[in-house]
Amino acid sequence: MAAGFKTVEPLEYYRRFLKENCRPDGRELGEFRTTTVNIGSISTADGSALVKLGNTTVICGIKAEFAAPPTDAPDKGYVVPNVDLPPLCSSRFRSGPPGEEAQVASQFIADVIENSQIIQKADLCISTGKLSWVLYCDIICLDYDGNILDACTFALLAALKNVQLPEVTINEETGLAEVNLKKKSYLNIRTNPVATSFAVFDDTLLIVDPTGEEEHLATGTLTVVMDEEGKLCCLHKPGGSGLTGAKLQDCMSRAVTRHKEVKKLMDEVIKSMKPK
Amino acid sequence: MPGDHRRIRGPEESQPPQLYAADKDEAPAARDPTRLRPVYARAGLLSQAKGSAYLEAGGTKVLCAVSGPRQAEGSERGGGPAGAGGEAPAALRGRLLCDFRRAPFSGRRRRAPPGGGEERELALALQEALEPAVRLGRYPRAQLEVSALLLEDGGSALAAALTAAALALADAGVEMYDLVVGCGLSRTPEPAPTWLLDPTRLEEEHAAAGLTVALMPVLNQVAGLLGSGEGGPTESWAEAVRLGLEGCQRLYPVLQQCLVRAARRRGAAAPS
Repeated sequence: MAAGFKTVEPLEYYRRFLKENCRPDGRELGEFRTTTVNIGSISTADGSALVKLGNTTVICGIKAEFAAPPTDAPDKGYVVPNVDLPPLCSSRFRSGPPGEEAQVASQFIADVIENSQIIQKADLCISTGKLSWVLYCDIICLDYDGNILDACTFALLAALKNVQLPEVTINEETGLAEVNLKKKSYLNIRTNPVATSFAVFDDTLLIVDPTGEEEHLATGTLTVVMDEEGKLCCLHKPGGSGLTGAKLQDCMSRAVTRHKEVKKLMDEVIKSMKPK
Repeated sequence: MPGDHRRIRGPEESQPPQLYAADKDEAPAARDPTRLRPVYARAGLLSQAKGSAYLEAGGTKVLCAVSGPRQAEGSERGGGPAGAGGEAPAALRGRLLCDFRRAPFSGRRRRAPPGGGEERELALALQEALEPAVRLGRYPRAQLEVSALLLEDGGSALAAALTAAALALADAGVEMYDLVVGCGLSRTPEPAPTWLLDPTRLEEEHAAAGLTVALMPVLNQVAGLLGSGEGGPTESWAEAVRLGLEGCQRLYPVLQQCLVRAARRRGAAAPS
């Protein structure tokens, strides 16, 4: 009977739960789904990470290649993110060029990388004006059940921590690069941006980590990206219902707590992997 | 890509560091030509797809999802004589749409997202191999969408994708005559050409010819065959096909187990 009510009046069904301050899957309004992360499983990629946030599954693979530095910034490298939402993750996506949602997600990730300065692009330069690294970060969603942006940011961060670049020296006589694949070193990750997403219901109620259905019924969404020391990197609020200043402050404090949880999880995983 | 304004722009062109590496690739080590790598198969793991399967064989990791049946676009009208067993006439039969994708980080070199001809060829090979196994006559005017994503290419990618696609179709509850099991083979170059079953990526790169065989194990019928490379005597190709079919039969019990486990899990999760 509940299933019938849910199909006919999904919003009312949700409101009944929200009145009791909980959600159909048993979570509190401020609770995240179980997060798991698996680092370094793809051996063809230079760095990889698989993140599961409840049912939402996202994999990030990073490949490093050589390129000439951009002409307007000869001492910098490139970081090129790309979020792919293939038809296998949800029936709403068709195969073909990236749709709107994929483009928005790619641009969001590019903004997070730029604003948080997670990698200094100058670190990626090997020889000014001649050779630099380009990191292609390809994020593929395997299962779409809401809250893509959080999962993508986390996967990107975990994969970047896993990237090992070989040592490169420029031979003075020939001017060519010489790569030593045996000696590899990790990237210098300066900050740890962590994203927290919220959905707004009926212009008033805020819930954290929306599932696919909740995102569909919500009247607005908000994503806050926090750094260590409570510094705000990025705030993404694409339209939707307005929020008061006080509510926004609540969101940011929740994001700070989430940052601590995620950082702890990631440190544990990386520590368990180190002996290689 | 110059005109692609839907993706974040990177440099015009880039080269992989392996081109500049000092050490050369080692030749693949000799091994028993009939060894199959241990396979891990799991069905029913994606929540949004009707049926899904993940297959891992050595370094090859493939994920496949099935959605549908959905109304076919541009479905034609028409009658015609009905097939045996109450199936729809030929003009109204369902369609299988297959999509094969490689993740950009799955091979040695990064492949930019718009796949190109090879992915389309493999998607067509997938469709041709799966069609004999699916009872499309039971889905008139409908289409079933099968999408395969190759996460890491460790050799025999098409064979793994075939097997994963068949498992995903079975997991989705699509009516099938039989499962389809795929097996890859490659032939070492002169001197002493031998056919190797289930080659790794290194062996495939050094091979003179490659072959993928798809078999329906219970009916013992070949569903698909795709091969290319330097010609050898026809007996050698026939021997390779026989080797491949044996390999498929050996793989079948693992897949049966996987489907039984998935059905149990599904039964336990939904008591109603």
